[in-house]
Amino acid sequence: MKKRVVSGLLAVMMGLSLMTGCGAAGSGASGSDSGDTVTVGLLHSMTGSMAISEQAVLDAEKLAIKEINADGGVLGRQIEYQEEDGASDPSTFATKAEKLIDQDGISTVFGCWTSSSRKAVKSIFEDYGALLFYPVQYEGMESSENIVYTGAAPNQQIVPAIEYLVDQGYTKYFLLGSDYVFPRTANMIINAQVEAAGLEVVGEEYADMDQTDFAAIIAKIEEAQPDVIINTLNGTGNVSFFKQMSEKNYTSEDYMTMSFSIAEEEVSTIGSDILNGHMVSWNYYQTTETEKNTEFVEAYKAEYGEDRVTSDPAEAAYDAVYLWKAACEKAESFEVEDVLAAIDGGDIAYDAPEGTVTINGDNQHLAKPVRIGQVQDDGLIYEVYSTDGPVDPDPYLETYDWAVEAGIKPLE
Amino acid sequence: MALMNTLFNGLSLSSIYLLVALGLAVTFGLMGVINMAHGEFVMIGAYVTFITQEIIGGNGSVAYLLSILVAFLTTFVLGCILEKVLITRLYGRKIDSLLATWGISLILQQAARSIFGSQGVNVNAPAFLKSGLTIGGCTFAYNRIFIIGLVIVWLLTVWLLMNKTSFGAKMRATMQNRAMAQCMGINSKKIDCITFGIGSGLAGVAGCSIALLGSVDSTVGQNYIVYSFMTVVLGGVGNLIGTVIGAMIIGFSSIFVEAYQSASIARAIVLLIIIVFLQFKPKGLFVIRSRSLDEE
Amino acid sequence: MKKLAGLKGKGNHLCFLIIAVLLAASPLLVSSTSMIQFLGKCMCFSIVAIALDLIWGYTGMLSLGHGIYFCLGGYGMAMYLRLRDNGGQLTDFMQTGGLEELPVFWRPFQHFPLALLFIILIPTVLAGAIGFFIFRSRIKGVYFSIITQALTWAAYSLFIANSKYTGGNNGITDFSSLLGSTRGPANRGNLLTLFWVTLLALILVYMLASFLVNRKFGKLLIAIRDGENRTFFSGYCVNNYKNFIYTLSAILAAIGGALYVNFNGSITPSQMTISYSITMVIWVAVGGRGTIIGAVIGAFFINLCEYNLSSGSLADIWQYIIGIIFCVTIVFFKGGIVGIFRDQIPALLKGRGKKKEVA
Repeated sequence: MKKRVVSGLLAVMMGLSLMTGCGAAGSGASGSDSGDTVTVGLLHSMTGSMAISEQAVLDAEKLAIKEINADGGVLGRQIEYQEEDGASDPSTFATKAEKLIDQDGISTVFGCWTSSSRKAVKSIFEDYGALLFYPVQYEGMESSENIVYTGAAPNQQIVPAIEYLVDQGYTKYFLLGSDYVFPRTANMIINAQVEAAGLEVVGEEYADMDQTDFAAIIAKIEEAQPDVIINTLNGTGNVSFFKQMSEKNYTSEDYMTMSFSIAEEEVSTIGSDILNGHMVSWNYYQTTETEKNTEFVEAYKAEYGEDRVTSDPAEAAYDAVYLWKAACEKAESFEVEDVLAAIDGGDIAYDAPEGTVTINGDNQHLAKPVRIGQVQDDGLIYEVYSTDGPVDPDPYLETYDWAVEAGIKPLE
Repeated sequence: MALMNTLFNGLSLSSIYLLVALGLAVTFGLMGVINMAHGEFVMIGAYVTFITQEIIGGNGSVAYLLSILVAFLTTFVLGCILEKVLITRLYGRKIDSLLATWGISLILQQAARSIFGSQGVNVNAPAFLKSGLTIGGCTFAYNRIFIIGLVIVWLLTVWLLMNKTSFGAKMRATMQNRAMAQCMGINSKKIDCITFGIGSGLAGVAGCSIALLGSVDSTVGQNYIVYSFMTVVLGGVGNLIGTVIGAMIIGFSSIFVEAYQSASIARAIVLLIIIVFLQFKPKGLFVIRSRSLDEE
Repeated sequence: MKKLAGLKGKGNHLCFLIIAVLLAASPLLVSSTSMIQFLGKCMCFSIVAIALDLIWGYTGMLSLGHGIYFCLGGYGMAMYLRLRDNGGQLTDFMQTGGLEELPVFWRPFQHFPLALLFIILIPTVLAGAIGFFIFRSRIKGVYFSIITQALTWAAYSLFIANSKYTGGNNGITDFSSLLGSTRGPANRGNLLTLFWVTLLALILVYMLASFLVNRKFGKLLIAIRDGENRTFFSGYCVNNYKNFIYTLSAILAAIGGALYVNFNGSITPSQMTISYSITMVIWVAVGGRGTIIGAVIGAFFINLCEYNLSSGSLADIWQYIIGIIFCVTIVFFKGGIVGIFRDQIPALLKGRGKKKEVA
């Protein structure tokens, strides 16, 4: 009896240690610079609540890799990728990032969506000297040497949108967001900006991340009587909010909204009849009129289906892969140090679907054009205003007097 | 007028919680099965609404009304299958039923992602529920009125079924004293299966309503599961009236607290109020008295 | 019979000894830093799993809220490390939230001894208070589970809502471990020291738990699980025992959390969600409840599987696998992995032996 129990448990332990061994043995096998391929990592949530958003970004990255490979690869090498699931949990992102970099020997990773996942992996990329391409607009106040931010900084999305609204004569602003860092930081910036313009913020509300009933919040909006609602809700919150606004007969004529997290994908889940006429602010729309964009939309639909739509985050992720290619080609190397040195020069550019984007050598964000758009009946977003050319990134808003006066600056 | 609005919002939220909790009141309250996959049955109901609309086309009223029936039947059948395969092995092991159904809920969520993609789908409100009724500056949304009506209908149906039919009598007999019921010639296995099916079917109906109010995606059920368990516990397990009152307490207090606080704080306050309340009434508002000591 | 039980216990201890030796030697066998980091995290998870096993496996109280205590320990340590690394300045999220000076409850965490004290003290007080009220009103069984679940949700909401004090969703990031950076070959010394210290903690927790459950105290816990009222009528103050073991379990979970952040380099509220708390229960259930060793095996088994199986196209399938493993374990193998080796396999072998005899 005793022997059997012990031997049985021993067997389990052997199994466990074997698995450990396998994991460790895997490290040599898939090194990044072997032969005629180069391996990059794709680190996104494929399961959990964020999978809703991150799937499109992941698809766009794979499309770009496929195109580049068909075109002869980078520096003559075919790109291979290894996908890891961050499971919508920042700690899993950290574990998986370390696995990709240290165990699998991959030094370039395209990944993350939420700020919390980016912050969780940031120090890992810095400590290992690896490179992360982060494809989503975010709240700014960060510029890591080891991260290239291909989405918009606040001054490329939020600030121009408010400027546009001020120009249009909106005077009473209501700030509505989900309860996490992007909306809170965005609203801090907006508060300062609206105040500097001599206008009024009549209310500021935060919904729970998974809030389903917005009746109480809508009642607060009715009471505050704003001209325009600045909406920083995230995915599912948006659906509930707009559906419940529409059931009270409110349209964009009663309450105009300006949203920072609604792209084409979200329009299709909320319904274009409900969103018709509402405004959004991004750098790219599926309808953006550039030659490159026609090709991109065609390729995306051919790959993933006619009913799929392209969106700003997907486009930024697509750009990220091409920008990495351009940086590698300039550096004539895949080593992160060399690539970073090439990026430092400040002239890594790519003729993207949204127009030409350039990596700023100082803060590693992109100079990109800003577009205010309006949702139309057909579920697409059409540009109503755009900046003349690319706007230089300013993640800390140092070039805006009102921001400096309001004390919006990083401490460390 | 603002008060009117608040009261209506409270009533509406209560009706939604009640609709979700009604199925749990049957499976948890009567059978003592902790079905953590209840939220996923709600999700299935919502997806069935989407599929029905896609097949019939447009956002016609017929399609929506039909989808309520289809959703009930689908989740009823799935519930029966779950009962036969899994739950039936776990009677008397409440905590184990909680854990095993959690495993089911993981599988169902992933299945939804595999089938429909991780992006949510859009369920259009049918034409007759699209807007709202405005009385003196106060708008009452038709779909919320519809949900209140729907929950009353289902409540009555469940009550009638339990108290006025021979099936209901058999069901209550089985739940109250299984051995005795079996001696009287009641096929308790069949009763178990159908009862669990009804509970799951009610979740499917709740899914149809929730699809009108918000996003339909693989995580939709998770948002309701904790509140619906609290509703049943607060009202007193095994008591329909208790569940109604439990839902109203949670619904109204959520709306009132949220009028003065941010949503996250409001949720924490409401949950803490319920927990403190349960200190004084650990078995809920309405307790079925029993002399048994070791009853769980 | 008594002798047999004693032998079983020894088998468990021997198994733990093997695990401990393997772990202690693993830095010599495995060169990759990330694997060592990961094994370190697994050891912290094992500590939490043992904590859960004490109250669930032995005492029959299923807590779906141990994520709170894990996070309280984790946040305590993260607050200290963060303040140490930035010299006691305001953090970025406090500044974003408009705070002018360090919040009062952050101040003790500037000093290591005070930080350690609070890492233990806060979960003790919280668990003690929660336990006192819950057990006093005789809430047990599934009601206990549902209430702890609601508490977890409430705590999670509070952490999110007070982002200027807690960092909201982002949690606390940007700090290195107690011993400094642990990443890369240059800092391998730090990593290994941290690793072995954590292993020592795991061994101590294992010994403490085994010590408790093999005493009369452990028998009482099992008695409470199997017949609370009978134990009560036998003259034992059941509530005090339950409260003691619940609080102890919370403290152990907090220690696990405090060690965990050293490896993870960040802590976020997603570790205190309901689903994460249930995941912790999964470790215990799959390993084998009511056997301290099962908690350790389960934590390692599930996490190692997840680590190796949730990449690429396997990510989708992994969700099915974990769901199925869990259902099958609960329904058919109540004793988990340990149970398979303790009950099922010997029974199988015995059965075969008998058949041969008959033939």
